[in-house]
Amino acid sequence: MHETAVILRRELKSYFLSPIAYVFGVLFLGLQCFFAGSSLLKQGQSASMQGFFGLLPLVFLFFMPALTMRLWAEERKSGTLELLMTFPVRIGQLIAGKFLAAMVFFAAVLLFTFGLPLTLGAYAALDWGPVVAAYAATLLMAAAYISVGMFWSSMFRDQIIALLVSLTTLVLLYLIGFPQFLEAITSALPAMLVDLLAGLSPYKYFESISRGVLDTRDFVYYLCFCGFFLYANALVLQARRHRG
Amino acid sequence: MIEVHELEKNYGFARALKGISFTVARGEVVGFLGPNGAGKSTTMKILTGYLLPTAGRAAIDGLDVVEHSLAVRRRIGYLPESTPLYSEMRVDDYLRFCAEIRGVPPARLKSAIGRAVELCKLERVLGKNIVELSKGFRQRVGLAQAIVHEPEVLILDEPTSGLDPNQIVEVRKLIEHLGQAHTVILSTHYLQEVEKSCSRVIIVSQGLIVADDSRDRLVAALPSGALLARVRGPEALVLRQFSELLPCRSSAIARDGDVVQYRLEVGDTKAPVGESLARLVVKNNWELLELQREQATLEDVFRSLTLEASKEAMNA
Repeated sequence: MHETAVILRRELKSYFLSPIAYVFGVLFLGLQCFFAGSSLLKQGQSASMQGFFGLLPLVFLFFMPALTMRLWAEERKSGTLELLMTFPVRIGQLIAGKFLAAMVFFAAVLLFTFGLPLTLGAYAALDWGPVVAAYAATLLMAAAYISVGMFWSSMFRDQIIALLVSLTTLVLLYLIGFPQFLEAITSALPAMLVDLLAGLSPYKYFESISRGVLDTRDFVYYLCFCGFFLYANALVLQARRHRG
Repeated sequence: MIEVHELEKNYGFARALKGISFTVARGEVVGFLGPNGAGKSTTMKILTGYLLPTAGRAAIDGLDVVEHSLAVRRRIGYLPESTPLYSEMRVDDYLRFCAEIRGVPPARLKSAIGRAVELCKLERVLGKNIVELSKGFRQRVGLAQAIVHEPEVLILDEPTSGLDPNQIVEVRKLIEHLGQAHTVILSTHYLQEVEKSCSRVIIVSQGLIVADDSRDRLVAALPSGALLARVRGPEALVLRQFSELLPCRSSAIARDGDVVQYRLEVGDTKAPVGESLARLVVKNNWELLELQREQATLEDVFRSLTLEASKEAMNA
């Protein structure tokens, strides 16, 4: 616990010491507020956060890999990974510390957007249920995307490669959430496999949670998804001890 | 304190370590010497738990480095080759991080960091970002990181590489000082470093240990094969007579008035060359002021052992 907290603190600090925190924060918030505003400022529009959350999964595809690409790749490139792995810390603690740091950082950025529903709620009748659910769904999806990006970051020494591979993975996972896309690429596959593929996309679960439907299966999905990639991440690090 | 037994490590098909064994007693300062790629860093990486050995065992303080990896890592301070640091951090933040992650209790953090800072003379740069530091300071930060938790064992991989001569002297002094309280293994290319600060030398080559002894005994074991003689007499004549007496190359290497110092490469001969030389001088009515066997340097030992090993490896 202590070790995880120490790693978490250092990683978080490192986010704020690099320009990435500010570039990420400003661009993400700017873009999201623009989307929210452009859908709200129409005549006859009801007070909802649809515009804000509607394009979020898409924006995430590009923003999340930027947040995670450096987590391991930078340590490998600068050689600090060797130092890190000779500290009396378990690999699981290293991974947890870094994962939580990315989560805390993102949650802090997301917190800034909370002014939006607060303002809306002050001037109009806002249905808070879906808003809170959508925020929860956003955090879950962020966790999923961070675990993917972190995994790929552990595979490469170069941050840009980690970014590109993460982006590709996430885009594919996003697209298979759309039946039309899935049909187009899987017409030759048996129906069962197509269903399985469709079930892999985090996008679907994001939709269902943010509609305010609380289904345990959606949460289990995110848990398994993150667990899978974080465990794969641990395997990659462990393998380095064997290979050298 | 450190026991290594038949340690092997393969990188794919390349055999980096072919079974090395040695022990280091508490308080010893051991120099790990060898050409690039000899297996120095690999050994250190296994001892510190970064790499797993392919075969063999290594233990620190009786604890196996694989089975009790965390406990072993708690007892070690490690400075990897090329001194990796988080360059965006400030020196004090970095040292605090290293101390905390190694489990220095919060109440002792301040004094532990203070001690490391004092030993490594980092007071002036504490508030600076690591990226702004000179190579010498970076190296000292790396050393401070390795000692901040007062480990029993210090493992330093080429602690002076890339430093200028003044910085080398400083870091060497620091290591000497640390050697008083810690068990130290350091690897290096600089033979002088070993001569100055190590009580014992282990020479590795091609993944094998080719020598393991005190510096003095290593040097004594390798006769240099040359005699040094200081003679008062006509130089040309002395040289001619020498080469008639002994079938070897002789040369004058220093002159001081009419006294000349000669170097005679007599080789490994068991013949009493000294005596016949003295008789020759007396017969010619010259004066023999000094006669001694030339001391081998650690450099000679290193070259002869590592070249031998690489020749054998090529023949095999």
